[in-house]
Amino acid sequence: MTKSEYLTEYDKIVQAMQMYIDGSKQGKSELMRPAFHANASFFGYAGGQLALGTQFLFDWIDRNGPAPNIDPRVVSVDILDTIAVVRLEVAGWSGNLAGSGVRMSDLFTLLKTPDGWKIIQKAFHWHAAERSLAA
Amino acid sequence: MARRGTELGGVVSGIVSRGFYMVQRNTPQKTLESWKQIAAYLDRSERTVRRWESNEGLPVHRREHEKQDTVFAYRHEIEAWSRLRTKCPGPGAIEEAVDHPAANAANAYLAEHDAITRTMHCYIAGARAGDGDVMRPAFHPSATISGYCQGVEYTGSVEHVFRWIDENGPAPNIAPRFARIEIIETIAVVHLEVQHWSGKLAGANARASDVFTLLKCDGEWKITHKLFHWH
Repeated sequence: MTKSEYLTEYDKIVQAMQMYIDGSKQGKSELMRPAFHANASFFGYAGGQLALGTQFLFDWIDRNGPAPNIDPRVVSVDILDTIAVVRLEVAGWSGNLAGSGVRMSDLFTLLKTPDGWKIIQKAFHWHAAERSLAA
Repeated sequence: MARRGTELGGVVSGIVSRGFYMVQRNTPQKTLESWKQIAAYLDRSERTVRRWESNEGLPVHRREHEKQDTVFAYRHEIEAWSRLRTKCPGPGAIEEAVDHPAANAANAYLAEHDAITRTMHCYIAGARAGDGDVMRPAFHPSATISGYCQGVEYTGSVEHVFRWIDENGPAPNIAPRFARIEIIETIAVVHLEVQHWSGKLAGANARASDVFTLLKCDGEWKITHKLFHWH
């Protein structure tokens, strides 16, 4: 992969991540859904409970509502031809379910499809151990 | 959109014939030519290896002759059979790592790192032996896989990996390397580079890049997703 190819793919991947960030910020799962692959999975522990499946994520985002102060950082983007890994750190989570000022670490894996880069899995670690993702 | 959820076996059927040809040409079919040689190879008595053949499926072949058949065995088959019987690290081994909090952060980190590599070695052992059941304990029951196989997008349950591994058979020469292990408390990503893949479906001397996502469940690291790219 040449440098310019890498940058082109990088930008497309970050665009997909931006859809996730926009949906999180506005509390609207519809904004992030197009970034996810139809067979995407979602895994992580929230307050000792295993959260599983993208439907859980989308419902949670909608019920959480706006989180206007989220502060995301792309920590790493690794691309291997048709697959990619993105580590995202998001500080300042707030909302109906998130509470306030909590931090999330996310590992996204992406697949390059004919429709562009799609998130095939999101694994997360919720840094507020005492708080549950459940309502 | 490309086909989804297709049986991986079906997807890769196009390379099966190439696989057979290459395996025959490239895999050293070193044989052991008597019970004595087989016993020596396994460092056991002839009596023990005969019993293993009749009771435990040790792969021994026979050539017909006028007076008496002679036996022989393929080293790679014996090795695969032997690996099959090597147990994966059980919960005990992993608890050991988790239940002994180290004196400082660096050692606690290493304990998690080692627990993750043990899970990955379970995957590698299954890949080498060509046995899906060997690698099954490394995966979360809801794990999925995705990637491209011969240019066709593939996503589906991890069960398809186990079936593919079974169908592919032993890949005794795989050379795995950990390109990256990144741990964030309860989640981790492992980038594994595997050279010298072989087998009925893999062909010969193939290379795969895999990105595994893991989750720490009840003190054990389990693979929740395998993302692959064949080179």
